[in-house]
Amino acid sequence: MRRRSAVVAAAGLLLLAGCSSATSGGGSGGGSALTYMTFNTPSLTPAFWKTSIARAEKAVPGVTIKQIVAPSTDRDSYAKQLQASGQFPDLLESITPSQYTDAGLLQPYDQSWVDQNFLLPQGNAIKGKVYIPPTNSQIIPLVFYNKTLFAKAGVQPPKTWQQFLDVNAKLKAAGITPMELGGNDPFAAAMPLTGAISADVLGKDPKWIQERYAGSVKFGDADVVTAATKMRTLVEKGYFEQGALNVSYADSIKNFNAGKAAMYPMGSWYLGSIPKDQWNTIGVFPWPTDDGSLVLPFAVGGSMAVSTKAKDSAGAMAFAKAWSLDPGNLKALIEGDGAYPMLKGKTLKDYGATVSPAFTNSYAYVTGQNTKVAAIGWATSDDALPGSLNNDFYAAAQALFNSSDVKGQMAKLDQAWSTATK
Amino acid sequence: MRPLTHWFRDTTQDLGLRVIAALGLVLYLVFIVLPVFMSLRSSFTDENPLKAGSNWIGLANYREMLHDTQLRDSVVYTLALAIGVTAVANVIGLLFAMLLDRTDLSYRVLRTIAFLPQVISGVIVGFVWKTILTQDGLLNSVLTRSHLVSHPVDWLGTPHLAQVSVGVVVAWVLSGFTTVVYLAALQNIPRELYDAGSIDGANARQQFRMITLRMVAPATTISVTISLITVLKLYDVIQVLTSGGPANATQSTAQYIVKTAFSSDRFGYASAIAMFLLALSAVIALSVTSLLRRREVDL
Repeated sequence: MRRRSAVVAAAGLLLLAGCSSATSGGGSGGGSALTYMTFNTPSLTPAFWKTSIARAEKAVPGVTIKQIVAPSTDRDSYAKQLQASGQFPDLLESITPSQYTDAGLLQPYDQSWVDQNFLLPQGNAIKGKVYIPPTNSQIIPLVFYNKTLFAKAGVQPPKTWQQFLDVNAKLKAAGITPMELGGNDPFAAAMPLTGAISADVLGKDPKWIQERYAGSVKFGDADVVTAATKMRTLVEKGYFEQGALNVSYADSIKNFNAGKAAMYPMGSWYLGSIPKDQWNTIGVFPWPTDDGSLVLPFAVGGSMAVSTKAKDSAGAMAFAKAWSLDPGNLKALIEGDGAYPMLKGKTLKDYGATVSPAFTNSYAYVTGQNTKVAAIGWATSDDALPGSLNNDFYAAAQALFNSSDVKGQMAKLDQAWSTATK
Repeated sequence: MRPLTHWFRDTTQDLGLRVIAALGLVLYLVFIVLPVFMSLRSSFTDENPLKAGSNWIGLANYREMLHDTQLRDSVVYTLALAIGVTAVANVIGLLFAMLLDRTDLSYRVLRTIAFLPQVISGVIVGFVWKTILTQDGLLNSVLTRSHLVSHPVDWLGTPHLAQVSVGVVVAWVLSGFTTVVYLAALQNIPRELYDAGSIDGANARQQFRMITLRMVAPATTISVTISLITVLKLYDVIQVLTSGGPANATQSTAQYIVKTAFSSDRFGYASAIAMFLLALSAVIALSVTSLLRRREVDL
């Protein structure tokens, strides 16, 4: 009898414990405790997040942050999983706001604050509203090159597509692997495709993505197929490293830094991964166009979005603003993630960052007068691709390694677009 | 067999046991049965994970599945993987079990090692094997240094080879489980049967065929069924190893479900695919179990 009572009592206690823990989780002991979804990369390390969060917390007394780390760089999918399970974070780092704005999940920043602080206040706006402070920008891709290997092959940085092919041919003839890729990670595999379509198609028609939304242009159109064929040409001619799709993104950085290939098409964040002893060895040039004109696949990025469901809306917004303008964070992002700063009234020197010549040279493209177009598959503004089309775009790039049917791959993207915009 | 309600009402049963059983039943209903019904309901809607509410769209999601080429490819690959991996893992499991069917301490240690792949998290398995299979990975280093190949092999970079590589990794994981299942079965075979076989003049091959294979038949049923179900719902290992690439060549149906739900924001459609996968798994599991049970009787 005693044993029976004990078991019943234990079960009852278990149930009570379950109920009490369910109701006591929200206590923050005074100020507000906010959840902040971040992600790790070789540049944005756990140490960076820890330091940057601590600094912004200090600037907003009463706010404490509980960090949630996305398991991969696909933070949008993770944010949606959290939303589906009723745990949508209060603050979300570097997501694609266009995927959430229709559902009313994000609150826009005060436009006057944005206008006051940033060089391109509408750089990543969605229907005129800013959901992520445009603190920095990226060029995706740039082509990084090894000056020593270029000198060995007797070639110069190319400007036109034909010159680019010639450089590749000469490097290969000299026994040098022309290009590093890291294609095991789909986004890295897509760098040449992003460069070709952004420069060739959007370079001639900057409103191409909006027209694709309207249905007046397609991936299957001749100009897009011609641009995508450039990537297939590079594959067919054997200009990428052997087994390019079997090399991870992290290994591709190591390989290029070790001088295993002469060129590396990658987003400008690679600037943060150039070792100091290679600063004078690694140069940079923009993705080449047919006529040599300067077209930059550009994406204005930034910091975090703020949820409309944030427990402490004012506190969340204050934290986001503090983090976004913190000089220490911006300096760390410039040095570690190659982020081009976009704050008004500041020069590169003002951040006190120590950067490579490749950073300084490529930052000149950002501040200079030239044609900047949305980096397809990377833009987070109105030019963001719908649904999972980024993933389909990356998969198409991987497919071009094993299929010569460029038109077929582009047609698949059109089909995926129809599904994504249903 | 008495209905479950009788068991709960039966006052001769220990109250504590009944409470624990009820708790288990509640957990099963809440965490298994209820989500299945919620998913079934969702499969008839256009539910979006980002939006509140949804519209009833009848069988539209199921009709769409008929024309979805990505789904078709993922189902074909998943089925091929399930059949291939189940066959390989069970053959390896039985062989390992026969090798380890000894009582010495060293064999007991080896048994623990054989079971390791099963207890390691799928995510860690994926990371470890990715390190082994990439271009500059351990396997290519060994093969090139020993001059068995002139160039590194593209294990994860070409569609067909990546599909096979995933199969090998998953078979490695499952072989830990199958080894333990077969080992338990082997240890229950009375030694007298082998002694009698020897006296009757049966050689090792005949003893394996006539005694071992027949006596482990119930274990084969369990091992094959669980292996099939495990592979049919496989997600973690592939996600880390290849992310479903290159160009979706190794995308499992479970990965496609997650992608559809959380990248394409089509929770309703993903639920319909999940229902299809559940039905497919149930049909396969029931068919295989029934087939193997009949074989057990025949043997």
